[in-house]
Amino acid sequence: MAHFAKIGMNGKVIAVLTCGNGDMLNADGVEDETVGQQYLQRHNNWPSQMWIQTSYNTSQNKHRSGDDSKALRGNYAGIGFEWDEDNNIFWPKSPYASWVKDTTTATWKSPIGDAPALTAEQTAQNEASTHSWVYNWNEAGQSWDLTDLKA
Amino acid sequence: MHKKVLSKIDLHYGAIDMPKGFEIDRDKLQLDILSSQIKNSKFPFSREWDKLNTYMREHINLEHNFTLINKETWGNAYKPQEVSIPLLNIDPLDLRNSPDYTFLYGVKVQDCIVRIHYDQNRRAGRSWDISLKNNEFIMFPSTQMYYITNNQKDSLNFILTTTYEFI
Repeated sequence: MAHFAKIGMNGKVIAVLTCGNGDMLNADGVEDETVGQQYLQRHNNWPSQMWIQTSYNTSQNKHRSGDDSKALRGNYAGIGFEWDEDNNIFWPKSPYASWVKDTTTATWKSPIGDAPALTAEQTAQNEASTHSWVYNWNEAGQSWDLTDLKA
Repeated sequence: MHKKVLSKIDLHYGAIDMPKGFEIDRDKLQLDILSSQIKNSKFPFSREWDKLNTYMREHINLEHNFTLINKETWGNAYKPQEVSIPLLNIDPLDLRNSPDYTFLYGVKVQDCIVRIHYDQNRRAGRSWDISLKNNEFIMFPSTQMYYITNNQKDSLNFILTTTYEFI
């Protein structure tokens, strides 16, 4: 079974539908996205080029099987995701206005990179459950703020 | 100081923006309205109605994160200079089976005004006028009474109404 994202006029995913494997076989009996798109156009009254195949097993440009060569279009599309035709990626909503796209991992990154790693002492305190240290993004200050959730 | 909105009257409106080549065939809907009125039958299911209904349900879910469930659909033709009777799509004695939203679609309209009545706390009996144009829609809570006015002198106005529940 294949999944297809229905793309709206604004480039956002408005629905995700399934298509039986038998409904997307070409004349040679090989699964073909174009055939699936035409099938969906015929049955759903929405143009074929606005149906884009998406992989249920792909997340952050990795495939659940471990074979990342099978990863398709960055992420499994969901309603509200943005279809990026140029990069061939489905993007979830940006968590913060300032975050930028990382096309390698198909994820959003802060403009100053990932959160710093916790120190050995903080990790030990988390493991001992005396603290719960995490870095939270501070959009106003454009920084990673260390917070103790148990404080 | 905090604020919590316990109830709201949300008015949704706009155009049905279908992809090129897949526009809603309003002539077909107009014929279906006429046919259902002449035969006094239910508004028939059609590909055009399905396109419209799917568009609304999907876009409301995308933009506002709630799901619409169809209740009923019918069409009306309003004569030139006609003002409808007060319209209310809930049954006050059967709220359990009444719809949540009323959706109006301009199939073939000109100079058409929808007047929606609402109360704002003690300021009761207020109204809001909004014009309905071809291929545009208005959706509002079915608890609101409304009137439809055809202000032109020349032809009938055709309006499709669908009621929805939401979850």
